[in-house]
Amino acid sequence: MTVAETLLVYAAIPLAIVLVLALLTLKPGAGRRPRYKPGQPWDHAPVWYEPHPAHVGGHGPAPSHGPAAVQGSDTAALGSSVYPEQQGERALESEGGVGPALGSGGSHTGGSHTGGATAARLPQAAGPLGGARGTW
Amino acid sequence: MTRAPEIDTPRTGTDVGGTLHPRTAEARIDEIFSFRELARLDEALTMSSRETGLRFTLYVGELATPTRATAEQLHARSGEHPTDAVLIAVSPGQRVVEVVTGAGAARRLPDRACALAVLSMTSAFANGDLIGGIVNGLRQLSDQAGHPAGLRTH
Repeated sequence: MTVAETLLVYAAIPLAIVLVLALLTLKPGAGRRPRYKPGQPWDHAPVWYEPHPAHVGGHGPAPSHGPAAVQGSDTAALGSSVYPEQQGERALESEGGVGPALGSGGSHTGGSHTGGATAARLPQAAGPLGGARGTW
Repeated sequence: MTRAPEIDTPRTGTDVGGTLHPRTAEARIDEIFSFRELARLDEALTMSSRETGLRFTLYVGELATPTRATAEQLHARSGEHPTDAVLIAVSPGQRVVEVVTGAGAARRLPDRACALAVLSMTSAFANGDLIGGIVNGLRQLSDQAGHPAGLRTH
């Protein structure tokens, strides 16, 4: 066996096998988005998903299809289930001059104060609320 | 109040929504979840709402502290009939999930059932499975609520 043959058998072939295996391992996950892990900061915009309005006993807005499902918003929606925030509400809240309520106690008390005013102009009260809370 | 922490967030959706090209705006939809996950969410929300006659909505994003009060204010705005609405508010950054039921929905979904659903959701969230937890929680809630008396599902 010459030196070239030795190198080919003992170096090149194992290297080729390793490369092929590495390629097969890394290739499928390359295009996938990184999965969210608990503890990472969540810096996405808030989004509100709602069910499709058909056959729900007349509740909710009239059935609408296509990207213009949300009135007052230019954001294209997937069907009608992706429910971005309404422009009007956003403008309404910014008038109040409430700062970011997260992280600082002072603005937090201001936020809860204006919360009462908003609850007062709601169309109807939902009665005593129930539910549950969980952390992880 | 509820929207206040989102106003100053630089990445809020509708702030830039008007200037976005439709294609770019469409690309933002699967910014958080993939389309496959969105389809699962969509089906879970729609089918549980349709089966129970209640209106399940899901909020994913930051909640101003106190999160319970914020979730209740969101619930009041979740539809035309908030008494029959059930809001699931998930804030992954704060690691908080809130389930708020209106007065009518709370008769069929007692707090104990909501707590059980929340428990299964949080155990999935702790593994990083947001969509799976939400879908399973919705399934549990709708199973507990059952069918309304007057609704024919088929």
